Amino acid sequence: MKIVIIGASAAGISAAKTINVSEPETEVVIISREDSVHSRCMLHKFLGHQRDAKGISFIADDFFETAGITWLNNTTVISLDPDKKTVTTHDNQTISYDKLLIATGAGYFIPPIPGLRESKNVYGFRDLIDAKLLDRECQTAKNAVVIGAGLVGMDAAVALLERGLNVTVIEMTKDVMSLQLDHQAAAAYQKLFKEAGAEFILEDKVVSVDVNDVGRGTTIHLASGKAVPADVIVIAAGVRPAFNFTQGSGIKTNQAILVGDDLKTNIDDIYAAGDVTGIAGIWPNAMKQGRIAAINMLGEKLLYEDRYALKNTVNFYGLTTLSLGNINPEPEENCEIFIREDRHNYQKVVLKNGIVQGVIMQGDIGGTGFWQYLIKNKIDVSDKNKDVFGLSFADFYDLDQQTGEYKYAV
Amino acid sequence: MKRIIIDREKCDGCLNCNIACISAHEEGSNFYTVNLQSPDAETRNFIKFDAGKGYLPIFCRHCDEPECVLSCMSGALEKDPVSGHVQYDENKCAACYMCVMNCPFGVLKPDKKTRTKVIKCDFCDDKPDGPSCVKACPKQAIVVKEVNL
Repeated sequence: MKIVIIGASAAGISAAKTINVSEPETEVVIISREDSVHSRCMLHKFLGHQRDAKGISFIADDFFETAGITWLNNTTVISLDPDKKTVTTHDNQTISYDKLLIATGAGYFIPPIPGLRESKNVYGFRDLIDAKLLDRECQTAKNAVVIGAGLVGMDAAVALLERGLNVTVIEMTKDVMSLQLDHQAAAAYQKLFKEAGAEFILEDKVVSVDVNDVGRGTTIHLASGKAVPADVIVIAAGVRPAFNFTQGSGIKTNQAILVGDDLKTNIDDIYAAGDVTGIAGIWPNAMKQGRIAAINMLGEKLLYEDRYALKNTVNFYGLTTLSLGNINPEPEENCEIFIREDRHNYQKVVLKNGIVQGVIMQGDIGGTGFWQYLIKNKIDVSDKNKDVFGLSFADFYDLDQQTGEYKYAV
Repeated sequence: MKRIIIDREKCDGCLNCNIACISAHEEGSNFYTVNLQSPDAETRNFIKFDAGKGYLPIFCRHCDEPECVLSCMSGALEKDPVSGHVQYDENKCAACYMCVMNCPFGVLKPDKKTRTKVIKCDFCDDKPDGPSCVKACPKQAIVVKEVNL
């Protein structure tokens, strides 16, 4: 059997690894646009010159050779034919498959703001290609503007600050990382970034960009009337699943490739995993989807059930935060909010009818992994009869006598 | 694979396992000389107390399907196909702490001093005489056994 995987990031590599371990005799071909395998979560380490391209890889140097996998890099798939079971690449190769996995991820989105898309010095911060282009700009640029203060924008900002640029972050909402943090937790990061030299313009938005005669954006105009000078612009205003090449193939999409719980598309023998499915844009989930899609392509029937995606960790300037679930409930949701603070920690737990809805743990996040289990499995903690901050796995402690593994007693 | 099997009924909460773990990761130290006040003093195993259930040892299971490995975006955490143990490469780790978030049993933690690495059981590097916590347990509440996957 021959399995073709399009994409060599979390989902694609995880699938390839799974196939290689379970059925090493299966022929695997991976096609990727880039000539390196790297973790996009470490791009800021590359741009900040703390690691080189090899240093942000998440596989062994000899992964493809050892696993006997054919890797077609610098190769873009432009179309696919489900009847002939082939994909066609930009350089006119036709590659046949028995099973196909689409793991092409997502691409950054440039909002249709006058001057922004036209500017040649606007970059996303998504792939190593983007980071390399930004790296070149950093050699001459003085003023950098980051549009969007989500995790990606903050990653870009931390690297640009590391390179000694003047960094201004522009954000529409009133806080940085507003999906992950509440006002107080966000303020702690904002303070650290300011100490490192960053400027923030919050609750404002870009209305236009002046483009000079060589096509570079020079001044960013905001709704408030402010104008910010820019030598280089990073856009971090969200991503869109990348599946242009499936046009005309009959694969059902709705802003993402639609898959069932078995991660198969509407067409037999074609599966999808990772950001391209729109299920959960986060590394651990993409890895798990890649693994499950691979097992299903090998003929098993495993279902992807771990759809819980409202989770993240943040680590900037040594301040760590765990964020899970609904952390900023509206008053009409009638949630109970518990807060505990000391000099080094800010902790918030959102409860409703004994079920944990959301958690922020800022400061010491050691041993906090159990919270995700409680939230995604909607476990009632009201019968524990204790301070919610005192909860741990010990309150649900059980052991499988045969394997010695832990399980939850609920 | 070899796993530390827990018999929680036998645990007296003496915390010898904690001290043995800290000492095993402080070079040249032993039970008598280990510096528990050092900022590097970190235990990889925990004993919780519950008024109803008594002492509850929480030790890395080197799970059959390790959530920490699946969440690792740097390749620092890998399940060794031969030993079955989840190994950690500090040099690859980018301290994103997705593994801390994803361990359902709350075993993993960032290092206290620098927040640049993860503190995780390394099975004492598979030394022939076994993990130091097991050797230090006076009650045999933790023992190494071969388990079939």
